[in-house]
Amino acid sequence: MNFFSKFNQFYMHNPRLERERHLLVPIVLIIILFTVIIFRAPHLFSSDGIGGAIIVISPLILAALALTPIALVGRGGIDLSVGPLIGFINVSLVAWLVGNGYTSPFLVVSYVLGAGILYQVIVAAIIIYIRVSPIIVTLSGYLVLTGVNLTIMDRPSGFSPEWMYEWGYGAEILSPIFFILSGMIIIWFLFSRTVFYQQILLTGADERMAFASGVNTVAARFGAHIMGGIFAGMAALTYTALISSGDPTQGNTYTLAAITAMILGGTSPAGGIGGGLGSVLGSINMYMISYVLSSFNFGNVSGFVTQASTGVILALSLLINSLMNKKVEKL
Amino acid sequence: MKKNYLYIKDIIQKQNVLLAFSLLIILITIGALIVPSFASSISIRSMLLLAAFLGLASLGQTLCALLGGIDLSIPYVIGSANILLASLLNMGLPTTLAILIIIFCGLIVGLINGLLSYRLQGQSIVVTLGVGFIVVGVSQIFTSSGVYGGNVLSQVPPWIRNMSSFGGNTFGFPLPPVVFLWLIITIIMVAIMSRTLFGRSFYAVGGNKRASSRILISEFKIWNLAYIISGGMSAMTGMILLGFSGGGFVGVGDPYLFTTIAAVVIGGTSLLGGQGGYGSTVVGTLVLTVLTSLLVGLGLSYAMQQSVFGLLIIPMVALYARSPQIRNQI
Amino acid sequence: MINRGSQIKSINTSNEIQVENISKKFGETVALNNCSIKIKQGEVHAIVGENGSGKSTLAKILSGVVIPDKGKLSIFGETPRNPMHARKIGVEMIFQEVLVAENLSVVDNIFAGSDGLFFRSRSRNNAKKRSQEMLRHFTGIDINPDTLVKNLSLSVKQWIVISRSLITSPRMLILDESSASLDLDATNRLHSEIRKLRNEGCSILVVTHRIAELIRIADHATILRDGSVVGDLSGNEVTSKNIMQLISSKSNKTEKFRIKKSTTLSNSNKETVLLAENILVSKDSNSFNFKLKAGEIIGVTGLEGQGQANFINTIAGIKPPLSGDIFAGLSNKKNKIKNFSDADKFGVAYVSGDRANEGIFPNLSIFENFSLALYRILFNQFGWIKMKPLKNSFNLEKKNLSIVMGRSSNRITSLSGGNQQKILIGRVLATKPKIIVLNDPSRGVDAGTKRELYSQFKNFVSAGGSIIYLSSEIEEFFDFADRVIVFRAGCPFANITSENISEDVVLTAMFGNLDPSNIANKEN
Repeated sequence: MNFFSKFNQFYMHNPRLERERHLLVPIVLIIILFTVIIFRAPHLFSSDGIGGAIIVISPLILAALALTPIALVGRGGIDLSVGPLIGFINVSLVAWLVGNGYTSPFLVVSYVLGAGILYQVIVAAIIIYIRVSPIIVTLSGYLVLTGVNLTIMDRPSGFSPEWMYEWGYGAEILSPIFFILSGMIIIWFLFSRTVFYQQILLTGADERMAFASGVNTVAARFGAHIMGGIFAGMAALTYTALISSGDPTQGNTYTLAAITAMILGGTSPAGGIGGGLGSVLGSINMYMISYVLSSFNFGNVSGFVTQASTGVILALSLLINSLMNKKVEKL
Repeated sequence: MKKNYLYIKDIIQKQNVLLAFSLLIILITIGALIVPSFASSISIRSMLLLAAFLGLASLGQTLCALLGGIDLSIPYVIGSANILLASLLNMGLPTTLAILIIIFCGLIVGLINGLLSYRLQGQSIVVTLGVGFIVVGVSQIFTSSGVYGGNVLSQVPPWIRNMSSFGGNTFGFPLPPVVFLWLIITIIMVAIMSRTLFGRSFYAVGGNKRASSRILISEFKIWNLAYIISGGMSAMTGMILLGFSGGGFVGVGDPYLFTTIAAVVIGGTSLLGGQGGYGSTVVGTLVLTVLTSLLVGLGLSYAMQQSVFGLLIIPMVALYARSPQIRNQI
Repeated sequence: MINRGSQIKSINTSNEIQVENISKKFGETVALNNCSIKIKQGEVHAIVGENGSGKSTLAKILSGVVIPDKGKLSIFGETPRNPMHARKIGVEMIFQEVLVAENLSVVDNIFAGSDGLFFRSRSRNNAKKRSQEMLRHFTGIDINPDTLVKNLSLSVKQWIVISRSLITSPRMLILDESSASLDLDATNRLHSEIRKLRNEGCSILVVTHRIAELIRIADHATILRDGSVVGDLSGNEVTSKNIMQLISSKSNKTEKFRIKKSTTLSNSNKETVLLAENILVSKDSNSFNFKLKAGEIIGVTGLEGQGQANFINTIAGIKPPLSGDIFAGLSNKKNKIKNFSDADKFGVAYVSGDRANEGIFPNLSIFENFSLALYRILFNQFGWIKMKPLKNSFNLEKKNLSIVMGRSSNRITSLSGGNQQKILIGRVLATKPKIIVLNDPSRGVDAGTKRELYSQFKNFVSAGGSIIYLSSEIEEFFDFADRVIVFRAGCPFANITSENISEDVVLTAMFGNLDPSNIANKEN
């Protein structure tokens, strides 16, 4: 009992740690999964195992990071459209740019960032000025983009820019995608240290208080969405590299996957709680879960087992986070 | 002048069913004029059939929305019920027993949704999504003794097939019974929601939770009931769809993920709670179904239809479910 | 004190504050009607009025939260468009509600809004030090600035909000009922802080309805009633008598509550309808007994947070007592009240003045707000709601309470605050309870409405009902309550019988003094 109460004291009541309390679940989960994988499927920890993992995880991590600022800024900000957005940027890149010969890296990167930002600015404007709730706006976005994607390209086709061709192999750890991913994570880290990030947190934690205290909640919300657009653009870039082509429908699966990763990582769509590190860890956890499950031979039900397990973990992590918040209140 | 504007806004909010209804009339008129055989009996029959499915699936969504919540497990429960019924029938269970078992499971799933999301009220989206995943994953595992993961071939009893397939007859009348079932359920629901304590309790809780408990309306009970009913209705819809598709198919519920929300929203029920009702949703369902037929008739692909739905939602919500300005909440 | 917060303030040489002919309507409700106020530098200016007089709206206009419909508003040369702009001008406001972000730290809360979008007003370490200093100065305790606010008490939260407004050295400070969550001691500290700021040249606006507190610090007072300025007092004129006279709608104060008082029979042979034995309603307080007889009206009051609100919630069954038991009638296990539905079963009804939170259903019509409470009495869960008995009941109460309304199918939000309250009280009366527990029901209700309500209560009581009535307006108890219980430190402190009820006696009791000659035996 003594150890537990000491741990309780240190963890639950240390103010500096309390802010990061949402990381408890993802960190514990990673440790568990790590251990299981070492015993069941250690191949993951070889150079092409990790290399391959990085290629596959990167779009998910970036998608989860794209969702994070929008969730942090509050008002129930779940961006349901992140999957189709990635799909849109992917197929439009392949069909409109590569298909017409525009493949310079500068142009490609500018395009993916620009498209992501433009879309999110429109979404943010509707949320702020027309005051429609984010869920409805992003739901609309999901439907609209799904249709648009299939219109641009009715089945998987096309090619990624030629300088990306070899990126999807995943044979080595320090691949270009690895550098892009690390770069974006560093950018997020720097961003989370800025005053602007603080304004986003304040707006999400309690919008009335933020407004009444003079926080520029409009700018904070726009900024959060713009960050989301930037990360969605980069997610689309790595996704394009991963599949080396354009696919109008597969991108949609990122919506549910990224939302799950973000929630698993402890970020709450109500706003103010959570952060990028949690979303990164959550994504890694999701990947490891499916890796572990595929190491058991479930045969033809393996997809379903993954699906069911994802659901269980989602529900559990929500419950645990809510219990933790309640617990400290009582004391 | 400002005074008149506020008064008009109040009218619109009260009569948003009328608004959706006029939209419906407009769409039907346009359809009849532009699309050949739009108003033919075949076309009407198919529209009513599809509307019936969507309408039944959206009943639960309406109740949850009245309380400010959402149920995203609907498509998964529908799919699961669909393959489970096929599977149980394959195993030789008597039809009635199989149906009762599955409805019971649907109610239990609803209860789980309700209990979990009650604790985490802002997160009913994520909770119901998670539960949906679990349900569909488990039911597929359960039925996967068959080879085609996710599909279950089975003998569908003829009365079920008659119930919801295109060629179904109701006592000789050329309309499948599910349409009449929907009609009856609609009449009952509208009556209950407008003139019984049970129905009005939803509006009370959706309007002001604490004030409800002060007049002894239990928020906990009503919240859970909404999700329980939704789970039951989803299960029922999934089973009825077996008659339509002829075999168990887990993806049969997928179209209902967003279309139930769209039907509720377009019909005029606010996702913020306290306003709207099943009558509104029925109109919204019809609008969506007619619009789909219209777009199909105009040659739009399934993809473009999705886009049109998406574009339609925002103006409808902007008309009657805008969040209040932050200034006015301090 | 280095004030880098002034980096975000606009350099402004104008010192003028002009508030002229300000009007504001919310829908149909007129909140302010042509108000003009003269505010000077270096003075404490009170804006006084009852609830619903428009004073909060005025404060919100001055701080940029609300934009007036008409009028000239110029503070230090600019018109505040929103709170961010107002802070830049040098106007700080402490709101009625304690606005803190529970999941963020103390330093984040105090410095919320002080930083610009991209640049901090001061380094983080500096900010933490400053937070610690300020809170130590105000609360006397050392609080780690990284502590999450949700772990702190309500009064510390209030100090955090106050600190937030003081770090920028404001030129104008507006306090809207800001001592609500502070005890007497803390209120004194706040007052001395206010005096200090005033002496440094800041204009201080104290928006309140608590006359006793404001006369201790105000240099000047503007009195609002029903959205208009009805009086202007300065210096020695600022006395509670003058203020009370201006607030009430008739110049003769005593006339206001002159309702025919039915002859008081001796209470000793009336039956006991509610009995509380050894109940504890507040933490770290004493338990006490309470007895309510048929035909009694008991007033309950006290300074903020002294336990009277806990008592009301407990006796109505909303919260269980921390210890002890409540019985409907005499001590008997069969009629113990353990929760809200027990209370309802035994005929205890509850009405709150906090309409927005506990009373009305803003999405429903006037008629349904009234009749919802009656459904379960007249019909069962799935029973068809018949309109006739509801309409009869509605019309009866509408007549008795003189409720002014358009069509009964209009939304309840179209009614004024006072009429909304009448609907809430009417629906309780229609359920024919034995005991009515009222939690500050006259909030935002004008004197005329109050009169109508009181006369209905008198009728209720002469027919054998009983009332427990919490209020912070002492004058409500004159010629109304049979006795008044003043709460202090979580339990009853003084029990004042009707012949002794006067403002002085009640006030002094609230502040902790007893004049033995005026007060009956403390034990009931």
